Amino acid sequence: MLSPLDKKIISLVSKDMLLSSRPFKVMAGKAGISEDKLLARLKSYKKSGMMRKFSAVLHHINAGFKHNAMCVWNVPEKSALNAGRIIAAFDYVSHCYQRKRRADWKYNLYAMVHGKTRAECIKAAKKISGKIGFPDCKILFSSKEYKKTGVKYG
Amino acid sequence: MNRALTALDKRILNRLQQDIPFTAEPWKKIAGELNIQEARLLNRIAILKKRGIIRRIAAVFNPRKVGFVSTLAAAKVAPENIEAAARAVNKYPEVTHNYKRQEEYNLWFALVAPSRKKITLIINRLKKNKKFKKVIELPAVRLFKIDVSLKV
Repeated sequence: MLSPLDKKIISLVSKDMLLSSRPFKVMAGKAGISEDKLLARLKSYKKSGMMRKFSAVLHHINAGFKHNAMCVWNVPEKSALNAGRIIAAFDYVSHCYQRKRRADWKYNLYAMVHGKTRAECIKAAKKISGKIGFPDCKILFSSKEYKKTGVKYG
Repeated sequence: MNRALTALDKRILNRLQQDIPFTAEPWKKIAGELNIQEARLLNRIAILKKRGIIRRIAAVFNPRKVGFVSTLAAAKVAPENIEAAARAVNKYPEVTHNYKRQEEYNLWFALVAPSRKKITLIINRLKKNKKFKKVIELPAVRLFKIDVSLKV
Protein backbone atom coordinates (compact mmCIF):
# COMPACT_ATOMS: atom_id res chain seq x y z
CA MET A 1 0.00 0.00 0.00
CA LEU A 2 1.05 3.56 -0.61
CA SER A 3 2.00 5.74 2.30
CA PRO A 4 0.47 9.20 2.72
CA LEU A 5 3.85 10.61 1.62
CA ASP A 6 3.79 8.53 -1.58
CA LYS A 7 0.30 9.76 -2.32
CA LYS A 8 1.36 13.35 -1.78
CA ILE A 9 4.36 12.95 -4.08
CA ILE A 10 2.31 11.22 -6.79
CA SER A 11 -0.22 14.00 -6.70
CA LEU A 12 2.51 16.68 -6.92
CA VAL A 13 4.48 15.16 -9.79
CA SER A 14 1.33 14.40 -11.80
CA LYS A 15 0.85 18.14 -12.21
CA ASP A 16 2.63 20.28 -14.77
CA MET A 17 6.27 20.73 -13.79
CA LEU A 18 7.70 24.15 -12.96
CA LEU A 19 9.97 25.81 -15.50
CA SER A 20 12.48 26.99 -12.92
CA SER A 21 16.00 25.75 -12.32
CA ARG A 22 15.21 23.61 -9.21
CA PRO A 23 11.71 22.26 -9.84
CA PHE A 24 12.16 19.20 -7.61
CA LYS A 25 13.27 21.39 -4.71
CA VAL A 26 9.98 23.28 -4.91
CA MET A 27 7.97 20.02 -5.04
CA ALA A 28 9.98 18.57 -2.15
CA GLY A 29 9.18 21.68 -0.12
CA LYS A 30 5.46 21.15 -0.75
CA ALA A 31 5.77 17.51 0.33
CA GLY A 32 7.76 18.52 3.42
CA ILE A 33 10.83 16.43 2.49
CA SER A 34 14.32 17.13 1.17
CA GLU A 35 15.07 17.38 -2.53
CA ASP A 36 17.34 14.31 -2.28
CA LYS A 37 14.62 12.23 -0.67
CA LEU A 38 12.14 13.23 -3.36
CA LEU A 39 14.60 12.34 -6.14
CA ALA A 40 15.27 8.96 -4.51
CA ARG A 41 11.53 8.25 -4.30
CA LEU A 42 11.00 9.20 -7.95
CA LYS A 43 13.82 6.86 -9.01
CA SER A 44 12.29 4.03 -7.04
CA TYR A 45 8.80 4.59 -8.55
CA LYS A 46 10.33 4.48 -12.00
CA LYS A 47 12.34 1.36 -11.22
CA SER A 48 9.33 -0.53 -9.88
CA GLY A 49 7.25 0.37 -12.94
CA MET A 50 4.77 2.26 -10.84
CA MET A 51 5.78 5.37 -12.77
CA ARG A 52 5.58 4.85 -16.50
CA LYS A 53 7.19 8.08 -17.60
CA PHE A 54 8.09 11.56 -16.50
CA SER A 55 8.02 13.53 -19.69
CA ALA A 56 6.25 16.00 -21.93
CA VAL A 57 2.75 15.18 -23.12
CA LEU A 58 2.24 16.75 -26.53
CA HIS A 59 -0.86 17.99 -28.15
CA HIS A 60 -0.56 15.66 -31.13
CA ILE A 61 -2.67 17.80 -33.40
CA ASN A 62 -0.48 20.85 -32.86
CA ALA A 63 2.67 18.77 -33.14
CA GLY A 64 1.77 17.79 -36.72
CA PHE A 65 -0.08 14.52 -36.07
CA LYS A 66 -3.37 16.03 -37.03
CA HIS A 67 -5.39 12.84 -37.13
CA ASN A 68 -5.96 9.89 -34.92
CA ALA A 69 -8.46 7.11 -34.97
CA MET A 70 -9.52 4.58 -32.43
CA CYS A 71 -9.49 1.35 -34.41
CA VAL A 72 -11.23 -1.73 -33.09
CA TRP A 73 -11.12 -5.32 -34.28
CA ASN A 74 -13.25 -8.36 -33.63
CA VAL A 75 -10.75 -11.17 -33.14
CA PRO A 76 -11.48 -14.67 -31.79
CA GLU A 77 -10.39 -14.89 -28.15
CA LYS A 78 -7.78 -17.56 -28.85
CA SER A 79 -6.07 -15.32 -31.44
CA ALA A 80 -6.30 -12.08 -29.46
CA LEU A 81 -2.93 -12.36 -27.71
CA ASN A 82 -1.03 -12.85 -30.92
CA ALA A 83 -2.99 -10.21 -32.85
CA GLY A 84 -2.54 -7.68 -30.02
CA ARG A 85 1.22 -8.16 -30.11
CA ILE A 86 1.28 -7.64 -33.86
CA ILE A 87 -0.78 -4.44 -33.58
CA ALA A 88 1.38 -3.07 -30.75
CA ALA A 89 4.50 -3.42 -32.89
CA PHE A 90 3.36 -0.75 -35.38
CA ASP A 91 5.09 2.61 -34.83
CA TYR A 92 1.98 4.68 -35.46
CA VAL A 93 0.04 2.80 -32.75
CA SER A 94 0.32 4.56 -29.38
CA HIS A 95 -2.10 2.45 -27.31
CA CYS A 96 -3.22 -1.12 -27.73
CA TYR A 97 -5.56 -3.01 -25.42
CA GLN A 98 -7.72 -6.09 -25.38
CA ARG A 99 -11.07 -5.23 -23.82
CA LYS A 100 -14.18 -7.03 -22.73
CA ARG A 101 -16.90 -7.41 -25.40
CA ARG A 102 -20.55 -6.45 -24.89
CA ALA A 103 -23.76 -7.90 -26.35
CA ASP A 104 -24.06 -5.14 -28.96
CA TRP A 105 -20.35 -4.37 -29.21
CA LYS A 106 -18.36 -7.35 -30.47
CA TYR A 107 -14.96 -5.67 -30.79
CA ASN A 108 -12.21 -6.78 -28.41
CA LEU A 109 -8.91 -5.30 -29.70
CA TYR A 110 -8.37 -1.55 -29.56
CA ALA A 111 -5.59 0.60 -30.99
CA MET A 112 -5.02 4.35 -31.23
CA VAL A 113 -3.63 4.98 -34.69
CA HIS A 114 -1.94 8.30 -35.50
CA GLY A 115 -1.34 9.89 -38.86
CA LYS A 116 -0.66 13.16 -40.60
CA THR A 117 -3.86 12.75 -42.63
CA ARG A 118 -7.14 10.88 -42.25
CA ALA A 119 -6.26 8.76 -45.26
CA GLU A 120 -3.00 7.76 -43.57
CA CYS A 121 -4.95 6.47 -40.54
CA ILE A 122 -7.33 4.47 -42.73
CA LYS A 123 -4.43 3.01 -44.70
CA ALA A 124 -2.69 2.07 -41.45
CA ALA A 125 -5.80 0.34 -40.07
CA LYS A 126 -6.19 -1.64 -43.29
CA LYS A 127 -2.56 -2.64 -43.18
CA ILE A 128 -3.02 -3.88 -39.60
CA SER A 129 -6.15 -5.83 -40.57
CA GLY A 130 -4.18 -7.57 -43.30
CA LYS A 131 -1.32 -8.36 -41.00
CA ILE A 132 -3.43 -9.85 -38.22
CA GLY A 133 -5.70 -11.64 -40.70
CA PHE A 134 -8.97 -10.44 -39.15
CA PRO A 135 -10.71 -7.87 -41.33
CA ASP A 136 -13.70 -7.15 -39.05
CA CYS A 137 -12.55 -3.65 -38.10
CA LYS A 138 -14.10 -0.28 -37.35
CA ILE A 139 -12.23 3.02 -37.62
CA LEU A 140 -13.62 5.60 -35.20
CA PHE A 141 -12.33 9.11 -35.80
CA SER A 142 -12.91 11.61 -33.06
CA SER A 143 -14.98 14.52 -34.29
CA LYS A 144 -14.64 16.52 -31.07
CA GLU A 145 -12.41 16.45 -28.00
CA TYR A 146 -14.39 17.31 -24.88
CA LYS A 147 -11.65 16.48 -22.38
CA LYS A 148 -8.06 15.30 -22.24
CA THR A 149 -6.24 15.64 -18.97
CA GLY A 150 -3.90 13.85 -16.62
CA VAL A 151 -5.12 11.68 -13.76
CA LYS A 152 -5.96 13.56 -10.57
CA TYR A 153 -4.35 11.58 -7.78
CA GLY A 154 -5.48 13.90 -5.03
CA MET B 1 -0.64 27.24 -34.91
CA ASN B 2 0.55 26.38 -38.39
CA ARG B 3 3.91 28.07 -37.99
CA ALA B 4 6.48 25.42 -38.64
CA LEU B 5 8.54 24.11 -35.77
CA THR B 6 12.20 25.07 -35.89
CA ALA B 7 14.88 22.38 -35.95
CA LEU B 8 15.67 23.25 -32.31
CA ASP B 9 12.00 22.97 -31.29
CA LYS B 10 11.86 19.50 -32.83
CA ARG B 11 14.99 18.43 -30.96
CA ILE B 12 13.52 19.78 -27.74
CA LEU B 13 10.17 18.01 -28.29
CA ASN B 14 11.81 14.70 -29.10
CA ARG B 15 14.02 14.96 -26.02
CA LEU B 16 11.21 16.01 -23.68
CA GLN B 17 9.14 12.99 -24.66
CA GLN B 18 11.84 10.91 -22.99
CA ASP B 19 12.20 10.91 -19.21
CA ILE B 20 13.20 14.09 -17.40
CA PRO B 21 16.34 13.29 -15.37
CA PHE B 22 15.77 12.94 -11.62
CA THR B 23 18.48 15.35 -10.66
CA ALA B 24 18.54 18.71 -8.85
CA GLU B 25 18.79 20.74 -12.07
CA PRO B 26 16.98 18.69 -14.73
CA TRP B 27 16.56 21.52 -17.23
CA LYS B 28 20.24 22.36 -17.11
CA LYS B 29 21.07 18.73 -17.80
CA ILE B 30 18.71 18.54 -20.79
CA ALA B 31 19.97 21.91 -22.09
CA GLY B 32 23.50 20.48 -21.93
CA GLU B 33 22.45 17.44 -23.95
CA LEU B 34 20.97 19.76 -26.57
CA ASN B 35 24.00 22.11 -26.51
CA ILE B 36 22.00 25.16 -25.51
CA GLN B 37 21.72 27.34 -22.41
CA GLU B 38 19.18 26.45 -19.73
CA ALA B 39 17.48 29.84 -20.10
CA ARG B 40 17.01 29.27 -23.83
CA LEU B 41 15.54 25.81 -23.22
CA LEU B 42 13.07 27.13 -20.65
CA ASN B 43 12.12 29.99 -22.95
CA ARG B 44 11.43 27.59 -25.88
CA ILE B 45 9.42 25.24 -23.63
CA ALA B 46 7.30 28.16 -22.42
CA ILE B 47 6.62 29.14 -26.06
CA LEU B 48 5.79 25.55 -27.06
CA LYS B 49 3.32 25.41 -24.18
CA LYS B 50 1.79 28.73 -25.12
CA ARG B 51 1.35 27.50 -28.69
CA GLY B 52 -0.44 24.43 -27.33
CA ILE B 53 2.15 21.96 -28.62
CA ILE B 54 3.20 20.79 -25.15
CA ARG B 55 0.19 20.04 -22.96
CA ARG B 56 2.17 19.46 -19.81
CA ILE B 57 5.37 17.98 -18.44
CA ALA B 58 4.53 15.57 -15.67
CA ALA B 59 4.81 12.05 -14.36
CA VAL B 60 2.49 9.38 -15.68
CA PHE B 61 1.80 6.48 -13.33
CA ASN B 62 0.45 3.03 -13.96
CA PRO B 63 -2.94 3.55 -12.27
CA ARG B 64 -3.21 -0.11 -11.27
CA LYS B 65 0.15 -0.08 -9.48
CA VAL B 66 -0.87 3.04 -7.60
CA GLY B 67 -4.01 1.22 -6.49
CA PHE B 68 -6.29 2.96 -8.97
CA VAL B 69 -8.73 1.45 -11.44
CA SER B 70 -9.03 2.61 -15.04
CA THR B 71 -11.57 1.82 -17.69
CA LEU B 72 -13.14 2.89 -20.98
CA ALA B 73 -16.83 3.60 -21.45
CA ALA B 74 -19.00 4.30 -24.47
CA ALA B 75 -22.44 5.86 -24.67
CA LYS B 76 -25.20 6.11 -27.23
CA VAL B 77 -26.59 9.62 -27.20
CA ALA B 78 -29.12 11.34 -29.47
CA PRO B 79 -27.26 13.91 -31.61
CA GLU B 80 -29.22 16.81 -30.08
CA ASN B 81 -28.17 15.73 -26.58
CA ILE B 82 -24.49 15.14 -27.23
CA GLU B 83 -23.19 18.47 -25.87
CA ALA B 84 -25.20 18.15 -22.65
CA ALA B 85 -24.16 14.50 -22.28
CA ALA B 86 -20.50 15.42 -22.80
CA ARG B 87 -20.80 18.07 -20.09
CA ALA B 88 -22.38 15.54 -17.72
CA VAL B 89 -19.43 13.21 -18.30
CA ASN B 90 -16.81 15.95 -17.99
CA LYS B 91 -18.21 16.99 -14.64
CA TYR B 92 -16.50 13.98 -13.04
CA PRO B 93 -12.83 14.64 -12.21
CA GLU B 94 -12.29 10.87 -12.66
CA VAL B 95 -12.88 11.29 -16.40
CA THR B 96 -9.52 11.86 -18.11
CA HIS B 97 -10.53 11.68 -21.81
CA ASN B 98 -13.82 12.31 -23.55
CA TYR B 99 -14.44 12.28 -27.30
CA LYS B 100 -17.28 12.46 -29.74
CA ARG B 101 -16.95 9.76 -32.39
CA GLN B 102 -18.92 9.04 -35.53
CA GLU B 103 -20.52 5.77 -34.56
CA GLU B 104 -23.71 4.50 -32.98
CA TYR B 105 -21.79 4.68 -29.72
CA ASN B 106 -20.92 8.32 -30.23
CA LEU B 107 -19.43 9.39 -26.89
CA TRP B 108 -16.28 7.64 -25.63
CA PHE B 109 -14.62 8.42 -22.33
CA ALA B 110 -11.88 7.05 -20.11
CA LEU B 111 -11.99 7.04 -16.32
CA VAL B 112 -9.41 6.57 -13.60
CA ALA B 113 -10.63 6.30 -10.00
CA PRO B 114 -9.35 5.17 -6.59
CA SER B 115 -11.74 2.20 -6.56
CA ARG B 116 -13.91 -0.08 -8.71
CA LYS B 117 -16.85 1.06 -6.61
CA LYS B 118 -16.36 4.67 -7.66
CA ILE B 119 -16.25 3.71 -11.37
CA THR B 120 -19.45 1.67 -11.04
CA LEU B 121 -21.13 4.54 -9.23
CA ILE B 122 -20.31 7.00 -12.01
CA ILE B 123 -21.38 4.60 -14.78
CA ASN B 124 -24.66 3.87 -12.98
CA ARG B 125 -25.38 7.56 -12.52
CA LEU B 126 -24.84 8.20 -16.21
CA LYS B 127 -27.07 5.24 -17.08
CA LYS B 128 -29.88 6.91 -15.13
CA ASN B 129 -29.31 10.26 -16.84
CA LYS B 130 -32.04 10.72 -19.50
CA LYS B 131 -29.59 12.26 -21.96
CA PHE B 132 -28.00 8.83 -22.37
CA LYS B 133 -29.71 6.06 -24.34
CA LYS B 134 -27.16 3.45 -23.35
CA VAL B 135 -23.84 3.31 -21.50
CA ILE B 136 -21.44 0.37 -21.67
CA GLU B 137 -18.17 -0.17 -19.86
CA LEU B 138 -15.30 -1.83 -21.71
CA PRO B 139 -12.65 -2.73 -19.14
CA ALA B 140 -9.23 -3.76 -20.39
CA VAL B 141 -8.32 -7.41 -20.01
CA ARG B 142 -4.83 -7.04 -21.48
CA LEU B 143 -2.49 -4.12 -22.09
CA PHE B 144 -0.24 -4.49 -25.12
CA LYS B 145 1.16 -1.00 -25.49
CA ILE B 146 1.18 2.53 -24.13
CA ASP B 147 3.69 4.78 -25.81
CA VAL B 148 2.45 8.19 -26.67
CA SER B 149 5.82 9.60 -27.73
CA LEU B 150 5.83 10.61 -31.37
CA LYS B 151 8.85 11.61 -33.40
CA VAL B 152 8.23 15.20 -34.52
